[in-house]
Amino acid sequence: MEWAIASAAFLASAVEFVEAFTIVLVVGVTINWRSSLVGAFAAAATLAVIVATLGVAIVQLVPIDALRLFVGIILILFGLKWLKKSILRYSGLKALHDEEAIFEEKMAEIRARGETIAPRLQPFGVALAYKAVLLEGLEVAFIVITFGGSISKAATSNGIASAAIGAAIAGILVILAGLLVKAPLTRVPENTLKFVVGIMLTSFGTFWAGEGFRYDWPLSDAFIPILAAIFLLASYLLVTFLKQQKRRQLAAKETPRVISGVGSQEEVRS
Amino acid sequence: MNILKAIYNFIVGDMIILIGVLIVAIALGLISSINALAPLRVAIGPVLIIAVLVVLSATLYREARGKR
Repeated sequence: MEWAIASAAFLASAVEFVEAFTIVLVVGVTINWRSSLVGAFAAAATLAVIVATLGVAIVQLVPIDALRLFVGIILILFGLKWLKKSILRYSGLKALHDEEAIFEEKMAEIRARGETIAPRLQPFGVALAYKAVLLEGLEVAFIVITFGGSISKAATSNGIASAAIGAAIAGILVILAGLLVKAPLTRVPENTLKFVVGIMLTSFGTFWAGEGFRYDWPLSDAFIPILAAIFLLASYLLVTFLKQQKRRQLAAKETPRVISGVGSQEEVRS
Repeated sequence: MNILKAIYNFIVGDMIILIGVLIVAIALGLISSINALAPLRVAIGPVLIIAVLVVLSATLYREARGKR
């Protein structure tokens, strides 16, 4: 069992499953649970097929250096995307992800279509749940394949299986939490999870891309935590900088108002 | 065209990140494969780390300016 791979897949999956769960919940509540669950399970099966076929093909066919370079660059791209979003949210430049707002928005969309609660299977409900789970899960499937695939080849252990186990545990936990709460999972610290995954993906991506370029990192694999610490520190500095920028912008907006307010008072006095 | 846009949005969804990472990858690929550039190979790791940080800072700076 590769714990680093399993935990990265677990965290990434938890974020995406929470998003997918919100849509499945909307379909279940507004149309019916049968359509919602059929769509969700069909998408999960599609994702399992994608991971199994693509994962095995990548591990068996691509040479290790090329694989590490490709995986490294893909992970850097994914990692920077997630890191950027979470840094913008921490600094207040972007709203924190609001599952309740998504829930209400989708609910209104379904009501506007005139869909009503009925016990039979409804194609629109199935398609909506399928699309949500497939789209949210595809990113996780990609992380599982690339992350797990690279480890599998290097360490002759089953990295894809470790990543898949991490993703499956996250899925089960989100479903269980959803069954207990029966509402959008607003208390899951989605941005923190996204931030941690962003740091992990960027660190592993940088390490593997470097190895793909045949660069020998000092301390070998032990350099990965150092990379994570570097990206963590840089992210902290960026969040601080962006918060200051936002404060300056707000202050600049306030100043003209105050000046124009003073001007108008003087005019009134004269 | 829509498929390409969907793939772009799925993988990265940000032009600065995509172009920045690709330029760095091409530059480092040249350094690692051309013999004349062999003395620069010791710098691949530090350059990669700095490049990733520069790309992240650039995209965040653009977002911060865009919000003005």
